[in-house]
Amino acid sequence: MGRWRALLWLGPSLALIAAVVLYPAVALVRASLSRYSITGVHQGSVGAANYARLLEQEALPTVVANTVLWVAAIVLVTVVVSLGLAQLLNEDFPGRRLVRWALIVPWAASVIMTSKLFVWIYDYYFGILNHALLALRLVTAPVDWLGNDATVMAAMIAVGIFVSLPFTTYVVLAGLSAIPGEVYEAARVDGASAWRTYWSVTVPLLRPALLVAVVLNVIYVFNSFPIVWTLNDRNPGFAHDTMITYMYKIAFKSSLRDVGLAAALGVVNVLVILVAVLLYLRTVSWREAEA
Amino acid sequence: MRRALTALGVLGAAATLLLSACDRGAERSGGSGKSITVVIAEYSKDHTKPFWQGLSEQYTKQGGVKVDLRIIDWNSIDQQVSTMIQASQRPDVLSLNSFSSYAKDQLLYSADDVLSPKTRDDFIEAFARGGEYQGKLYGFPILSSARAFFYNKDLFARAGLAGPPKTWDEFVHAARKIQALGGGVIGYALPLGPEEAQAEWAIWMWNNGGDWKSGDGWAINSDKNVQTLRFLADLANRYGVTQINPGKTNRTDGAFQLFKDGRVGMVMGFSPLAAQLDAEKKVSYGVAAMPTAAGQSVTLGVEDYLMAFKKTGNQDAVKRFLDLYYQPENITRWITAEGFLPVTKSGLQQMSSNAQLKPYLDALPNARLAPTTDPAWDRVKLDVQQNIGLAVQPGGNPKQVLDQLQKNAVVAAGSR
Repeated sequence: MGRWRALLWLGPSLALIAAVVLYPAVALVRASLSRYSITGVHQGSVGAANYARLLEQEALPTVVANTVLWVAAIVLVTVVVSLGLAQLLNEDFPGRRLVRWALIVPWAASVIMTSKLFVWIYDYYFGILNHALLALRLVTAPVDWLGNDATVMAAMIAVGIFVSLPFTTYVVLAGLSAIPGEVYEAARVDGASAWRTYWSVTVPLLRPALLVAVVLNVIYVFNSFPIVWTLNDRNPGFAHDTMITYMYKIAFKSSLRDVGLAAALGVVNVLVILVAVLLYLRTVSWREAEA
Repeated sequence: MRRALTALGVLGAAATLLLSACDRGAERSGGSGKSITVVIAEYSKDHTKPFWQGLSEQYTKQGGVKVDLRIIDWNSIDQQVSTMIQASQRPDVLSLNSFSSYAKDQLLYSADDVLSPKTRDDFIEAFARGGEYQGKLYGFPILSSARAFFYNKDLFARAGLAGPPKTWDEFVHAARKIQALGGGVIGYALPLGPEEAQAEWAIWMWNNGGDWKSGDGWAINSDKNVQTLRFLADLANRYGVTQINPGKTNRTDGAFQLFKDGRVGMVMGFSPLAAQLDAEKKVSYGVAAMPTAAGQSVTLGVEDYLMAFKKTGNQDAVKRFLDLYYQPENITRWITAEGFLPVTKSGLQQMSSNAQLKPYLDALPNARLAPTTDPAWDRVKLDVQQNIGLAVQPGGNPKQVLDQLQKNAVVAAGSR
């Protein structure tokens, strides 16, 4: 009896999970085992053939390498910069409230809008970035940031960092404000230098906040679609795609136009991110046990 | 842990049940005759929705059948339609720039099923042929457009050029003269980025006497076409008369933007670009025929389609909807509002007095269509969009790119 009553209370959330998590997951796996015509008509099951074909795609190694670089660079730089920003915002200074609000703006703005804005900032002919660099004599000729194979990934990563900073900074800021003042007092009494205090007191106590920041950022950045899609839309081929935009191109924008194959990559994407996060968590807790 | 796994399994099974229930429900609900789903691509924010909403209301008043109208932007329409079909929730009427894959999958009514003879006979013959699959009309022309050659009159005057170039030699000469003006001025804006590369490429290809196909087979890497692509690569890398990275420039936010800003001597445009230029009044421009190396100037005509999807019990409702759209006053009112070109004989007659459309209407007899009647085209087009730009980048290899496109086209032609 008691058990059934529990189910009654759990029912709505279970139904919600079934509808928005399990149903799409089941549909995705099912699609990845099927063949579709170019119009989307289901043509029957093909077993694991889509997964085998996925491995044959010439662009796959490039796309995987791009994805690793994309996630690693953005998360690493974002966390490091956020540590500094949060430290700054944790200090009391006139106008702090204003700066805290200003930091939220890139977070609150739609990522597509931000990406479009950066397309124009980076533009070879009209972009403000080239104007600024030329005026400062940092470059002698304008740079085609989004058309030059050597710069387009860095340009996209910069935007990724820009939109990831607010969230990460606020997570670290929350972590900082949770550190009790007594430990700093103790450090001061012991005569620790500012640097020493930071490394031996602040950073270890920030570990839970950093853990959350890294895990969530890895997931967000890996799954991020609009930045790469918008900034890379002029470039032919798959030389600058991540696994997420590549999946979309397989389904709708390349000559493959294959929903089944794209679904197979979708399943792989979910598994990759799961494994990456589990590995990370395991490494971190292992270190903690050792320490 | 084990209990959690069991719970997860139960949930999974429930979700699967839900899934199959949804599928069955979708099939059942198809074509009740009480309402039809009409999916239309958005040509402009100002005109598309008001027109089709008005048409739907008129239609509902006449026969009592409701219309579920969905206006979808071009960027996501392929994806959304594909999703509808995967979920067995086909639209009843759909507008798109391709039709033959749908005809091949036997999803469509032919003209015999859903068009009255009067409507069928009013189509301009070339456009009716452009909608045929295996000898039957499945893609009903909804509207058309034609590309034309735009040039900046001020820059031409400054460069001492008398008029628009007629041949490729004159074109290169003009482009070099304009580029030589300096100050960031560009001779020709060449957009071979993924957005619409197949259109730009087709115009150059045809004006050198090449084509997509030879007979029934694909001929993308013919000698003529290799020569044409080398010519385009030379414009960028040898003569240096294009904007930077033409293989990585899109049409709308790249080439057109530069022309609208007055920085470019020449560009391939179409009537919506003319409308924007007229509204902005920043650039004094002329419209001319394409420069050609093949004697007769050829332009690209683009035909978009209306399709009627087969569902039990919807034939009559769909037929009445199509007949309503194709009434001369309706179709012409919309095409005029959107600034496109007619697809019916009656429309052509009505619109021929419009002075602004004259250059495009003049070009229409020499316009060629993309091979949309071949289902393989839907893949070839995407392949060209994604890859041809690589050929005009520094160090690009035109022959190799075309060889690969040809190889893929042959595979696409053979696949289901």
